Amino acid sequence: MTTAESSHIPGMKFFVAVWIGLMCIVGIEVIITYQRPSARDLLVFLLVLAFLEAAVAVWYFMHLKFERAALVWTMLPVLAFVIFMMDQIWPDAFRLASMRLLSR
Amino acid sequence: MSELEATMHPGHSGVMEESPYGIPSGKLAMWCFVLSDAVTFSAILFAYGYLRIGSSDWTRPFLFMPSILNGLVMTFVLLTSGLTMLAAVEAAKAGRTAAGARWLWATCALGALFAALHLLEWRRMFEEGWRLFQNPTGGSVEFGAAFFSVTGLHLLHVIGGVCALAIIAFGFHRGKYNRIDVEVVGIYWHFVDLVWMFVFPLIYLMNAK
Repeated sequence: MTTAESSHIPGMKFFVAVWIGLMCIVGIEVIITYQRPSARDLLVFLLVLAFLEAAVAVWYFMHLKFERAALVWTMLPVLAFVIFMMDQIWPDAFRLASMRLLSR
Repeated sequence: MSELEATMHPGHSGVMEESPYGIPSGKLAMWCFVLSDAVTFSAILFAYGYLRIGSSDWTRPFLFMPSILNGLVMTFVLLTSGLTMLAAVEAAKAGRTAAGARWLWATCALGALFAALHLLEWRRMFEEGWRLFQNPTGGSVEFGAAFFSVTGLHLLHVIGGVCALAIIAFGFHRGKYNRIDVEVVGIYWHFVDLVWMFVFPLIYLMNAK
């Protein structure tokens, strides 16, 4: 155990429970997909569940929860900022779709 | 001198200040790599979304049998490999070298199985006529470009991870690598696992017929 990690990292039983939880989320994703919601609703559902899975994986499987807060506050805001900046491409994607409709 | 101190400041543990993150530099480097790789995968998934929104005739080719079911099995295999990786890290921390190496080999085998299932899926799609810029259903050719690029980049990471796991497992058993090395390769492997949590829903489920 590294100096930054707390002495109470849970044992394998806890991680097996997390693994079961992650498999359940995957099952929910498939069930929701075959309920045939609209593409927009499906995207929202799947993204929320994927981010939930990712958060659990980073927090517990990658042991970020047991590292110093400084590491968390160095990594996550940077990633969030970059992803936020990438969001600027969507208006152009919708413009492309509109251009194709107008050209017909 | 503790093992961590020896790894962080070999020969200078008494005079050098502690790392601000309290982790060995190798582990910090892996976290930085994971951060940059997360941006790479974000960019390629954004590009997929851009192509999909901008395309008027996007194809949704995946039937439950065989594609979605195969994807589910692949997800099960990769998530299970995350669990065996955790067992390897725990065994390595407890000083159980033989058990740690065994769990690392198990993770390696599951990673190889995932890659094999992925390549079988690709072969089936090639036989149906899918190519990087060819769509046998007559829809947007951009589907093939997006699918093979995203899954190919992930597959490349899996194959790289399997090689790294094999090297660490072999070296750990022989005493060449220590538990910190096992933890570092573990962070990489869990990241590969994490990326699949986005690839499966966005590439497979969003394109289910």
